Amino acid sequence: MDFSETADRISRKFQKSGQTIDPKKIEGKLRRLIEEFGVQPSEAERSVTNDLAKEFNLPQMAPGGGGGKSGSATEPKKIADVSPEEWVTIEGRVVALSSPASPAIAQSGIIADDSGGIRFVAWAKSNAPAMTVGSWYHIEAAVVDEFKGIASLKIHSGTTVKESATDGALIPGTVPIVNLHTGVGSVRAKVIQEWDASHERMLQSGLLGDETGTIKFVIWKEAGKEKLAVDSVYNIFYALVDEFNGRLSLNLNTATIMQDDGDILVSGGIVAVRGALVHIAPGSGIIKRCPVEGCNRALSRQNYCPVHEIQPKFIYDLRIKGWLDDGEKTHNILLQRDVVESLTGITLDAAKEIAENNPLGMDEVFLRMRDTVLGRYVTCHGREIDNRLLVNTCERLTFERGEHAALLNRAGGAP
Amino acid sequence: MSTNAREIGRKEGSFEREPARRVFASELRECRYDFREGTDEKSPTFVLLPTGERCNRIFIVGTLTEKQRQGDQNIFYRGRVVDPTGTFFIMAGSYQPEAMQQLAKIEAPAFVAVIGKPSLYRKDETSTPLVSVRVESINVVDKDTRELWVLDTAARTLDRIDIFKTSTEPDVIKAKEQYPAIDPSIFRRMAYDALAQIKI
Repeated sequence: MDFSETADRISRKFQKSGQTIDPKKIEGKLRRLIEEFGVQPSEAERSVTNDLAKEFNLPQMAPGGGGGKSGSATEPKKIADVSPEEWVTIEGRVVALSSPASPAIAQSGIIADDSGGIRFVAWAKSNAPAMTVGSWYHIEAAVVDEFKGIASLKIHSGTTVKESATDGALIPGTVPIVNLHTGVGSVRAKVIQEWDASHERMLQSGLLGDETGTIKFVIWKEAGKEKLAVDSVYNIFYALVDEFNGRLSLNLNTATIMQDDGDILVSGGIVAVRGALVHIAPGSGIIKRCPVEGCNRALSRQNYCPVHEIQPKFIYDLRIKGWLDDGEKTHNILLQRDVVESLTGITLDAAKEIAENNPLGMDEVFLRMRDTVLGRYVTCHGREIDNRLLVNTCERLTFERGEHAALLNRAGGAP
Repeated sequence: MSTNAREIGRKEGSFEREPARRVFASELRECRYDFREGTDEKSPTFVLLPTGERCNRIFIVGTLTEKQRQGDQNIFYRGRVVDPTGTFFIMAGSYQPEAMQQLAKIEAPAFVAVIGKPSLYRKDETSTPLVSVRVESINVVDKDTRELWVLDTAARTLDRIDIFKTSTEPDVIKAKEQYPAIDPSIFRRMAYDALAQIKI
């Protein structure tokens, strides 16, 4: 292998700084790295250059390499390529700003280029110009750090922020849900479930799915935020991907969300369980929910919400919690109103009627529903989340002659 | 706050409820061996089926043919539930008030579904134990449900017989030790007869 060309190049570089280095010496160093240590030629060139620069006390001059601040910070890097503890220069478009969590922060949000997005924080002390959503910026010598596995770009007092002449739209690529990782992500997904809010600041939470899998999402209450519609498909750009208890979830507050006319066949997660309903748990039947927007918690008998206290103007709802048993495993199941109505034949209106005109009140609804479904064979389709089957459809099993005949043959067959 | 709620939810969710096994009366009647898993007072007890499966809980559907109220101080109800192969003896006492009230309400004869815990009772050390089912829930059902149960239970019984022949599961080995005189293939005939009683 001939290293003279590379050696000459390095030699010429040092000549500019007034150092004369014998190309043969350079060639020897290159050969050693490449042939003995299996280093890639480009990496060897970088390494030898830096090595010599150190020897002659010159600023590092290797192309595009890590290490020092001055060596890496001037050429813009693609956002997807930055890694923690690097000093970088990037050029990107601010796609989202979020309210700063602390007075020490001037601005925080997401900046993106065509390769991807990254969270950023501009410290108040950095005196960086205020950036606006939709504009492009050239950010020089920012630091990338990592917190809880999520990379973020820090704009500090040594960072130069200049509005860039770059213009134009930025259409980010979406990724399949299974390929999401912590940081910033864009997906095209369908809202498959909406859950009860578990926090008063929460506007909506639920489950998004695409062809590859499902992920939890949350939208926190904030001016201008709207709920997503169940069963609709959305293009969601630059959502925050967080990890919680080993599970990823999407925070959509930073995201640009566009409804999509198409449909998605959500795969994965749907299971069918056939078995007997062996227990109907207390809290099934007709229940009262907290009317405070976004709360929706089940109220106690005294109309008490754990967060909003007494709520006399509650909203009625139906649900069944219980155990579905296939003889091998027992599944904790949750049926929502529409499933309860079709399984029990008792509509919400009928249940209200029963609850209001009966000495046993809401208990009467529980008892009637229990007597209708307990011990019955059903097939439930739904998603298993946190060991609970959230049931989408639940049908009574019917006697199949074919199955009967097959079992007779099996039992009567040779032992 | 939401962190906490979710963690608690997860803990509750991770609890594994003992499944309700499907077994015909004439197999359950043969049980002679029960054991406790673990040393804790609350550890579950199991009855070992001759086909080599442990059961802490069973699901049965049959005809409640009679029920009786017994006891003066401690009231409890006994009942007989008949399937195509034999009779289950069920009971519900004041420790299962809900089950007892459900049973009290039902007029025999009726098709019932019973979820309960089987246990062995011996009059004394030497007598043959009687298998009885302590009711957790009982509910009136229709004939369709009973027929579905016969199919389900026949299929599960045949599965157990198939596994028994080749398996080296500890429970199967234990069953071979405890029930040396029982050849599980007799339960194949029982399952066939049960299936044959369903008229189409």
